[in-house]
Amino acid sequence: MSTPILEARELRVTYGGHVALDIPHLALAPGELVGVVGANGAGKSTLVNALLGWSRGAPAVSGSVRLAGEEIGALPPHARVARGLALVPEGGAVFMRLSVAENLAAATPPAGAAGRAHDEAQIEALFPRLRERRHHMASALSGGERQMLAIARALRLGPSALLLDEPSIGLAPRLVTDVLRAVRGLVDQHLSVLLVEQNVRAAIAVVDRLILLERGRILAQGPVAAMRDDPRILEAYLGEAAA
Amino acid sequence: MNLVQQLINGIVLGHGYALIAVGWTVLLGVARLVNFGHGQIYMLAAFVTWWAVAGLGLPYPVAILAAMLAGVLIGLLMQAAMLRLTFAQDLVSIMIVTLGFGHMMRGIAGLVFGGHPQVLETPLSYIDFEIAGAWVTAQDLAVVLVGIAAFALLHFGLERGTLGRTARMVAEDPKLAQLAGIDVKRVYFAVFAFEGAAVALAAAMVAPRTPILTSIGFEEVIVTFVVVVLGGIGSVAGSYAAGLGLGIFTALFGGFVSPAYATTAAFGVLIVVLVLRPSGLAMRAGGR
Ligand SMILES: Nc1ncnc2c1ncn2[C@@H]1O[C@H](COP(=O)(O)OP(=O)(O)OP(=O)(O)O)[C@@H](O)[C@H]1O
Ligand SMILES: [Mg+2]
Repeated sequence: MSTPILEARELRVTYGGHVALDIPHLALAPGELVGVVGANGAGKSTLVNALLGWSRGAPAVSGSVRLAGEEIGALPPHARVARGLALVPEGGAVFMRLSVAENLAAATPPAGAAGRAHDEAQIEALFPRLRERRHHMASALSGGERQMLAIARALRLGPSALLLDEPSIGLAPRLVTDVLRAVRGLVDQHLSVLLVEQNVRAAIAVVDRLILLERGRILAQGPVAAMRDDPRILEAYLGEAAA
Repeated sequence: MNLVQQLINGIVLGHGYALIAVGWTVLLGVARLVNFGHGQIYMLAAFVTWWAVAGLGLPYPVAILAAMLAGVLIGLLMQAAMLRLTFAQDLVSIMIVTLGFGHMMRGIAGLVFGGHPQVLETPLSYIDFEIAGAWVTAQDLAVVLVGIAAFALLHFGLERGTLGRTARMVAEDPKLAQLAGIDVKRVYFAVFAFEGAAVALAAAMVAPRTPILTSIGFEEVIVTFVVVVLGGIGSVAGSYAAGLGLGIFTALFGGFVSPAYATTAAFGVLIVVLVLRPSGLAMRAGGR
């Protein structure tokens, strides 16, 4: 196997004394789309945030994170972004007081990432809605449009690995499919993505591998073909009795 | 009292006020931070200017730069001490820490510069002009020009271009700005360095009009409050207009009613405005 694009070891996150995440090892291969599923509070957001060293709260994070072999676990978030790791946090975070165009321009690709960064034309091809709304303030966008803008902004950064925290939340079923398909398309163009998704059924349709989190630990993981039939997934998330 | 003279006094005073408040406008508007050591940086910078001119015999423009450098260093030092509080946006603690810094600066100034009032004489104070029967000094004119220049630069710097966008991003959501690749810590340091430099510049320009004592600075903080709040927090054009308006109001009230109650009256105006228009006088799209 080639060097993983993103690899974490002994990743532990605690809030006060409470252990929210404890993951001995996790790897994302180049050009791979890995889904992360689990119940509310399982630690999915905690995981993707910890990989970027970012949080809205003040957790204690320890462990090693490597991006393309380089240790980045001690770097502040903006420095990890500069090295090619991007995060679209939960809730499609955009700058409400900036226009769509400004939100996109706000993410300047770091030196060295310019080749990977999506330019405006590519963004518009991916999300035509955003072109129509270029001059609107982000606060005037619908929830789904904001989600697209948040993803587009991350792509402007030219990441080699992208962390997506529930990009489909709040979207109409058709849009969920659209957004996840778009993500799949990016992966087919060699982006590597760790995708947190509540909509397990939709996730299964696009991901290569699935990781099931429970109480901050990896309960099961494997290729989607195998995980799809895992009784724990079937019962808890697909609402079917185990065969 | 001559109306034209009072108006001109007011315009000069107003540009001084605006200049004193410009650092806070950025501090509060961009970074959602406060600095209650503002007045004491003003005081220290006034002393540094005086000392550079009277003690070291440096030319006035060099003394201004020395004062600004001192302001930058103090600003950086304060921010370094408060970085954790800044990231947590813990305004109450920041208020107390900056107040503490202010008191320390006052103590240090007392030790270094002594308790005597000093007068800063600049070459510009000796040049007089007559405008429509009223007198102004070149120093007054310089206050107006520097005030206009500072606000014009800030306006164009913040309203357009990368710098302004970065500032607005950090103001709206510093955590999210990190995800866009911005080194928010550097922005906070830059903002405090600017605050220090700006209030030092104001001191170097305005202090020659009044005696310099270690106890000055309180009034400057009050003026800053009024200007920033009236202008609509964080609005550059609003602060300029509010500073100018407050200056003219103070001069006219002082000239025709009572100089002793001018500050009191200014506060009366502030309260009335805040009750009627809680967001300040400035109208702003998507206003805050
Ligand atoms: N800021 C915080 N302070 C304290 N505890 C927190 C904080 N954020 C998350 N937690 C705790 O960490 C655990 C994992 O939370 P996390 O947000 O990662 O869950 P999640 O899997 O993303 O859930 P959801 O599906 O609801 O988004 C939960 O027990 C949660 O209560
Ligand atoms: Mg979550």
